[in-house]
Amino acid sequence: MKLKRFLLRYYPPGIILEYEKGGEMKTKSIDLLDLTPSTDIDTLVEEIRRAEPLVTVSRIQQVKYLIVRLQEKLSQQDDHKFYLFKVLRAHILPLTNVAFNKSGSSFITGSYDRTCKVWDTASGEELHTLEGHRNVVYAIAFNNPYGDKIATGSFDKTCKLWSAETGKCYHTFRGHTAEIVCLSFNPQSTLVATGSMDTTAKLWDVQTGEEAVTLTGHSAEIISLSFNTTGDRIITGSFDHTVSVWDVGSGRRVNTLIGHRGEISSAQFNWDCSLIATGSMDKTCMLWDALNGKCVATLTGHEDEVLDVCFDYTGQLIATASADGTARVYSAATKKCTAKLEGHESEISKICFNAQGSRILTGSADKTARLWDSHTGQCLQVLEGHTDEIFSCAFNYEGTTVITGSKDNTCRIWR
Amino acid sequence: MLSVKGLLSILRKLKSAPDQEVRILLLGLDNAGKTTLLKQLASEDISHITPTQGFNIKSVQSQGFKLNVWDIGGQRKIRPYWRNYFENTDVLIYVIDSADRKRFEETGQELAELLDEEKLSGVPVLIFANKQDLLTAAPASEIAEGLNLHTIRDRVWQIQSCSALTGEGVQDGMNWVCKNVNAKKK
Repeated sequence: MKLKRFLLRYYPPGIILEYEKGGEMKTKSIDLLDLTPSTDIDTLVEEIRRAEPLVTVSRIQQVKYLIVRLQEKLSQQDDHKFYLFKVLRAHILPLTNVAFNKSGSSFITGSYDRTCKVWDTASGEELHTLEGHRNVVYAIAFNNPYGDKIATGSFDKTCKLWSAETGKCYHTFRGHTAEIVCLSFNPQSTLVATGSMDTTAKLWDVQTGEEAVTLTGHSAEIISLSFNTTGDRIITGSFDHTVSVWDVGSGRRVNTLIGHRGEISSAQFNWDCSLIATGSMDKTCMLWDALNGKCVATLTGHEDEVLDVCFDYTGQLIATASADGTARVYSAATKKCTAKLEGHESEISKICFNAQGSRILTGSADKTARLWDSHTGQCLQVLEGHTDEIFSCAFNYEGTTVITGSKDNTCRIWR
Repeated sequence: MLSVKGLLSILRKLKSAPDQEVRILLLGLDNAGKTTLLKQLASEDISHITPTQGFNIKSVQSQGFKLNVWDIGGQRKIRPYWRNYFENTDVLIYVIDSADRKRFEETGQELAELLDEEKLSGVPVLIFANKQDLLTAAPASEIAEGLNLHTIRDRVWQIQSCSALTGEGVQDGMNWVCKNVNAKKK
């Protein structure tokens, strides 16, 4: 094994090692999820050196330098004020979901008008219209971090795979017998997973366009799915009140997370794949040990259905959005509520952190999106202008641009 | 009556409804009065209604049923998308502007196409002859004849004159809906 070079990863903080093994180039990452601007560098470097044989004494100065760079990035003041940059009369019918590519250079919008559009973030110009679905385009995704492919899942029961660069359709995945409502690429971008109202999820081979495996076992609609960071596990959340953990290679169910007393709305892994957060119509969010499937905490406080949940990149915080019009932040370590985000006048359907973890973005039926300080819970900005409810919203990786997709048929870029 | 909000609740309304829930699709040409009708059902303010660019969904309780009413925009360019909403429809309500005689042919054609749709086959249809508050409104009997409604044999149907503005006739129509959904749901 021979170390070739280091790569820096800002969010979540980490150092990627590129090395050669048996004539093959490989990578592994050293996650520094607990790194803060005040972490003692010498102690940390010593820990890394002991744990990672690839980091030899001769490399120590280099590693120190990288850690300093990460600490500088972490201590940058985040006082970005967002202004409306453009209103995109994006579609002739309501939007469904929106998503950025990794660099944030382009983003996609799905719509009831059966298309998905690809947009240039800097100019707001439309790059491509992905046409071919015969019903609502509901679920959309880039194959991040690569960003050269787009997957679209439709109420027409098919999923299509497209070139992000040319807009050409590579494959149409057929097999579901009801609407496709969630999808994701695996981190290696070799598979697309689709979840359907037909109660199954399917994994599709990106190269061949063939179905790899069907995940069968839920007794009601699947409405959320997510891969873990390594890509060997996938979770599916269902209206049958349960979440299943599946082995990606074999398609076998590894665990069933049973405990919620209402339909699942969202299910997510944290970065280091140790925890799963699930939101439910039972007004709670539950945290589960990802390895043994045991519930480790029930996060309560919401007075109505929990509609969305997410982890920050480092996995230290969990944010929940509710039909009660509030959002909450919980500590993954203490399982306590650390902030209550109050201000929206109607249900919050979407919540996300910026990659830095310092800000939370919420999209609501009250036609506004709001920005919050994730530590104090203070509302920093109200993004006003949409004339109907906001269905989806997203940060770019840098945390400097926000997009919002609405029932009013427009998409707005804020920066 | 509740407004249905958020993508997730749309998914919940999408699945085939349990016994006591009824999915109603509200269609018709632009300016027929679909959204006014929806708001009248909800006892909401009807003074500031603009053309629907997408859809509105509301849930009403009526005679032991939960009626989930989907009001879909009727402008020509978005009519091809009506198909998006056909799945699991229990009752179709078709709204006609009874005073807009110039468009009777157009509305008749759209209705005929809907009745030909495989996904709507056998679905009970209620036709609201709306805007009866206008002096120039054609009576329901004339519309029924003009649209050859008597030739519909593959489903139960009814024409009901109404004014979404004043509310007159609306409840009679909804009573018919509940009566006829009963037959189908049980």
